[in-house]
Amino acid sequence: MSDLRIIDIEKKYRSAQAKDEASFLLSPVQLTIREGEFFSLLGPSGCGKTTLLKLVAGLLEADGGELWFGNENLSNVPPESRKFAMVFQQSLLFPHKTIEDNVAFGLKMQKVGKKKRLNAARSMLDHVGLSGFGRRFPEELSGGQQQRVALARALVANPRVLLMDEPFSALDPSLREEMRELLSQIQKDFRVTVLFVTHDRDEAFALSDRIAVMGEGQLRQIGSARQLYERPHNTVVASFLGLKNILSGQVTNGRFVSSDKIIDASVHHPLADGDYYMIIRPESIKAAAADQSGHVSIRGIVQEMKYVSGSYNLKVIAETQVLECVLTPFQAEQTAVGESIDLLVDMKEVWFLKE
Amino acid sequence: MWQKSKPYLLLLPASFTIILLFFGGIFDGLLKSFGYFPAIGETGLNLTAYDRLLHSSDFWQSMALTLRVAALSSLISAIIGAFLAVALFFVNNSTKKAIPRPWQRLFQLPLTIPHLVAGYMVVLLFTQSGFVSRLLATVGWIDGITEFPVLVNDSFGWGIILTYAWKEAPFVALMLYPVLSRIHGSWSDVSRVFGAGPWQFIREVVVPVMMPAWTIATFIVFVFTFSAFEVPYLLGVTYPSVLPVYSYQLYTSGTLSDRPEALAVNMILAAITILLGLVAYYISKRWNVLKGWG
Ligand SMILES: Nc1ncnc2c1ncn2[C@@H]1O[C@H](COP(=O)(O)OP(=O)(O)OP(=O)(O)O)[C@@H](O)[C@H]1O
Ligand SMILES: [Mg+2]
Repeated sequence: MSDLRIIDIEKKYRSAQAKDEASFLLSPVQLTIREGEFFSLLGPSGCGKTTLLKLVAGLLEADGGELWFGNENLSNVPPESRKFAMVFQQSLLFPHKTIEDNVAFGLKMQKVGKKKRLNAARSMLDHVGLSGFGRRFPEELSGGQQQRVALARALVANPRVLLMDEPFSALDPSLREEMRELLSQIQKDFRVTVLFVTHDRDEAFALSDRIAVMGEGQLRQIGSARQLYERPHNTVVASFLGLKNILSGQVTNGRFVSSDKIIDASVHHPLADGDYYMIIRPESIKAAAADQSGHVSIRGIVQEMKYVSGSYNLKVIAETQVLECVLTPFQAEQTAVGESIDLLVDMKEVWFLKE
Repeated sequence: MWQKSKPYLLLLPASFTIILLFFGGIFDGLLKSFGYFPAIGETGLNLTAYDRLLHSSDFWQSMALTLRVAALSSLISAIIGAFLAVALFFVNNSTKKAIPRPWQRLFQLPLTIPHLVAGYMVVLLFTQSGFVSRLLATVGWIDGITEFPVLVNDSFGWGIILTYAWKEAPFVALMLYPVLSRIHGSWSDVSRVFGAGPWQFIREVVVPVMMPAWTIATFIVFVFTFSAFEVPYLLGVTYPSVLPVYSYQLYTSGTLSDRPEALAVNMILAAITILLGLVAYYISKRWNVLKGWG
């Protein structure tokens, strides 16, 4: 199989100036990206996503580890011979070449004849919705169109792996949405393996088969969007994914009691006694007073209400704990900032992490 | 009204002087080249001077020499200059420093030295009794200084070419360097990922990007060396001499009747320069010099 295997690749940046200046360490990464998979690296700015991507591309030299594609060892293969392609945050088109020539660049480097490569370039431009733009120069295109060209340039040479470094982050939100759809479609059409870098959770969730969450030069957790969101391995991953309702407490005899005592409920899963974090997804909180079995009721005061495309995001303070929850407009209309509210949490939906 | 025209009015004295001196000079030269010379009673216009010039073998020899010297000088400085600029670019890229100061200073040095001084330096260094020749003789590479090739005041013009190459190569390099520095650092990453090795990167990106500026720089060197006087006057031979020197020789020959010819030579020089300028302009337009850099 033509999987991309990253085996213990690591990289250390030495700071050029003073020794006390913090240098960056990318801890050994172990990762297998399956053929045809859309795999994302998700993490905050400066966590080493670009570094890892450049190591895979060969643009940076690794301090250790190996890179395999199928049964070919690429560790010492220069980037120009890896048959990968890359899309960067900026389109980085060559301004002195026409759009066609830009797209055909990879094929030209592979010594494909002029007629053939220009035909391939045109049909790829068709694919990204830019037929008829081939004769223009990059500066005559909008930012979104330039990024489409960059995508076409990357795909035209049938790359074994397509590397993408925050390709849409410079575009405005509606355009970003459109580009995501285009990329998703194209990835399915061409069945290309994609390694995608982003710091945008929604982007990663919308596009990826699997996601690796990164933080401070380490892979924190790998899984599908749903696995990561519903079953985060630690609080760092959880809070990076937007799960801010993290309550610390103890489990004793199958009952969880939070340290500020706002929650005292029996635990659904069998858990050994000890210190735990309970993570409540904002969507699994309802506004209701009536107690139901398996639910826990929390009373708090509404601190903030924000309307966000079709629903309300509320911040409710219960004792010292701030809870974020998502309510329907109907539920939200029953309350207001400063008023008290009864919340109901389904204990089946919460997630426990050992402290 | 005053507000709008004020800057122009303030510029008027300067522009007037420039226009008067430049176009006035050319116009005066043009008239005189047509035989208009009131001082000796000639007030008619004719083409005698041009006719005599175009039929004189001295003129054509001089023309051939001028073209050869200008072409070789500009070609050599273009090649060396481009090489220096690309080298500087890669040094800069690998060290990631903003500007490699010492290198830049070194390249600026020849620009600050007047042509005449550069010419004298070549004389001091490269005549048969010059520094290099003596050095080689002392070291024993050549048996005596007479074995050293005649590089100064030679009829081929090597001395002139040498001076120009030394002086203009850094000029070309410094013209190219800003253009090269606009090459996005990530372009080399892009081209590598898409399968281009270092040489292909140079061929596909570096050279095309610097081509327009390179042509223009080379052209400037050509026009300059084509019409410059002092270096060939110092380092050339009396016969054949390059056109500007030929013109000077005619003008100062003592015969007033040679003067229209001298000025005709100048007019021909000016005409060729303008023609070359137009050619360069159209070439640069066709090449989309400014495409993608807006
Ligand atoms: N050439 C370099 N030399 C030294 N340190 C570097 C170098 N490049 C990056 N770093 C450091 O390495 C760390 C990771 O950088 P990297 O570019 O991989 O982050 P990133 O996850 O891509 O961030 P972003 O989302 O902002 O692009 C950063 O702290 C950065 O300062
Ligand atoms: Mg990055």
